[in-house]
Amino acid sequence: MMFAHGFGCDQTMWETVARNFEGEFRVVLFDYLGHGRSDASAYSAERYASLDAYAEDVVAIGRALDLEAAVFVGHSVSAMIGALASLKAPDMFSELVMVGPSPRYIDDEGYRGGFSREQIDELLEFLAENHLGWSAAMAPAIMGNADRPELGSRLENSFCRTDPDIARDFARATFLSDNRSDLGGISTRTLVLQCSDDIIAPLAVGEYIHAALPHSEFRLLQATGHCPNLSAPEEVTAAIREFV
Amino acid sequence: MSDSPPSEDLEDLYETAPCGYLSVSPGGVIVKANGTIADWLGRPTADLAGTSLHDILGFGGRIAYETHLAPLLRMQGHVHEIALDLVTANGEKVPTIANAAEKREKDGSHRFTRLTFFRAVDRRMYERTLLNARAKAEGESDSYRKAALLREQFIAVLGHDLRNPLAAIAGGVHLLGRKEELSERGFALLEEMKGSLERASALVDDLLDLARGSLGGGFAVECTNVALTPTLEQVVAEIRSIAPERAIEASLRVEEPVYCDRGRIAQLASNLLANAITHGAADHPISFEAATAGDLFTLSVANAGARIPETVMEHLFQPFFRGAVRPSRNGLGLGLFIAAEIAKAHHGTIDLTSTELETRFTFTMPRSDLIAQPSNERPQ
Repeated sequence: MMFAHGFGCDQTMWETVARNFEGEFRVVLFDYLGHGRSDASAYSAERYASLDAYAEDVVAIGRALDLEAAVFVGHSVSAMIGALASLKAPDMFSELVMVGPSPRYIDDEGYRGGFSREQIDELLEFLAENHLGWSAAMAPAIMGNADRPELGSRLENSFCRTDPDIARDFARATFLSDNRSDLGGISTRTLVLQCSDDIIAPLAVGEYIHAALPHSEFRLLQATGHCPNLSAPEEVTAAIREFV
Repeated sequence: MSDSPPSEDLEDLYETAPCGYLSVSPGGVIVKANGTIADWLGRPTADLAGTSLHDILGFGGRIAYETHLAPLLRMQGHVHEIALDLVTANGEKVPTIANAAEKREKDGSHRFTRLTFFRAVDRRMYERTLLNARAKAEGESDSYRKAALLREQFIAVLGHDLRNPLAAIAGGVHLLGRKEELSERGFALLEEMKGSLERASALVDDLLDLARGSLGGGFAVECTNVALTPTLEQVVAEIRSIAPERAIEASLRVEEPVYCDRGRIAQLASNLLANAITHGAADHPISFEAATAGDLFTLSVANAGARIPETVMEHLFQPFFRGAVRPSRNGLGLGLFIAAEIAKAHHGTIDLTSTELETRFTFTMPRSDLIAQPSNERPQ
């Protein structure tokens, strides 16, 4: 069972839920390039301009671990990254769990994603002003020294560290993506986990995905906000367990 | 006797503190707000309670709260120093710096989140100015880098394209000398042309080396274990034939093989010798020594002549630097730069000492690849 973090965080956000499955599954956690403790030196802005590159990385991890008929659990943008990965390697995942997914964030004709282009620019502005525990001077030391956690504690916010330039690129790749046309081709069994009151992925978007996916189940969680894996890990665990 | 200190009114401290207070439920609903933040937002405190935190954040802040701040709060319990814009009843932005912490029950469950806001108009404006200045500087250095790259590519292409016509001229000169009947004057001219051709070819080779060095991030060398003595003897013989009037005292004690690029080491030795010929005192011999000793290979070239001033020494290994002592007509000023690049590519160094008695360049490198360490002086 592979857990993929969404925009804004790293694998830490899945720790509680993932621990619940360690008994029954081989659990795989990872950080996307530029996030958490990944090796940011392998990053290239050109390559990671679209979600396809992230999906290729998921497939590469799956191949390296010989994953076959595994469960992919993706939060937020990772739900779509998992869908793209399942198209690239159809045998790798037998189940997809999408937590707070959206195939397109920006409104379009006949489609309400919940966002406008200007609002995305506001988010990019916020990211430029908030490096959230990132310090360019400290970064190489922190990123390369998993065995020296004291280096990290000097910064105020120690989780979900992301290189600000990469966070900006990832925000663009995420919020400007449009994967609606990919949904129809996904033959994998899918569970759509929808939060109540999620401004990032509103109810209508979750229902849209459920309708567009050929083999999907839809479940509305009582959890509110965009990160039920953190705010309601037990409810998320139960929903996944029932599905797989 | 002094008066007793005034006692603090805690309720008033909360309501009129010089910062804004908000308490928010796990679901994002404002539970309590103080008077200060209500004033900033132009809304009564009673009106704020029960509304969503989203309603007083700009859109960027809302997404950031959901994607970044809420997860961080759950994981580490607090988030500090967040630049956040609040939005007033009139839709105006209030720039603030915020800290937030989760208030948790004894069992660890989330009761509510407390947020403290500091109005930070000047501070945020200052930070934005810094951000803009940095973006501008990055843009400028980027375009500068591109221009420099273009210049280097131009040099590489020019050097490369000059080779073909030079080769054609060399072929013609060769044929003229062998197959044609020439007058004595014709032969003399032909010999001068050969000399000029060699100089032009050497200049082009240096240019190509420069382009390779700066474009490729260092010289590429192909190393094998080499017996260097014959190579170095040949270099000395070549320099003697170019400058027959100068004395070169060679001492070669290279008993062990050296792990290096034979052609490049020959080029380094040749460049150092040529430098000594050009700048050394003509009436004193040049000393050329090479030896292996222990783990090291050293090669040094010394000449008599004027001491090199410290200010000149600093720039000697830079490309296109030609000693201000006198104009040289022998090259572009790339010889020492290329020698230094070759040294670097072999994980070696060139040291320079200059006194009234002699000027000496000493090249030192690890003799075997087992002891070679990656150079940290290599350009990025």
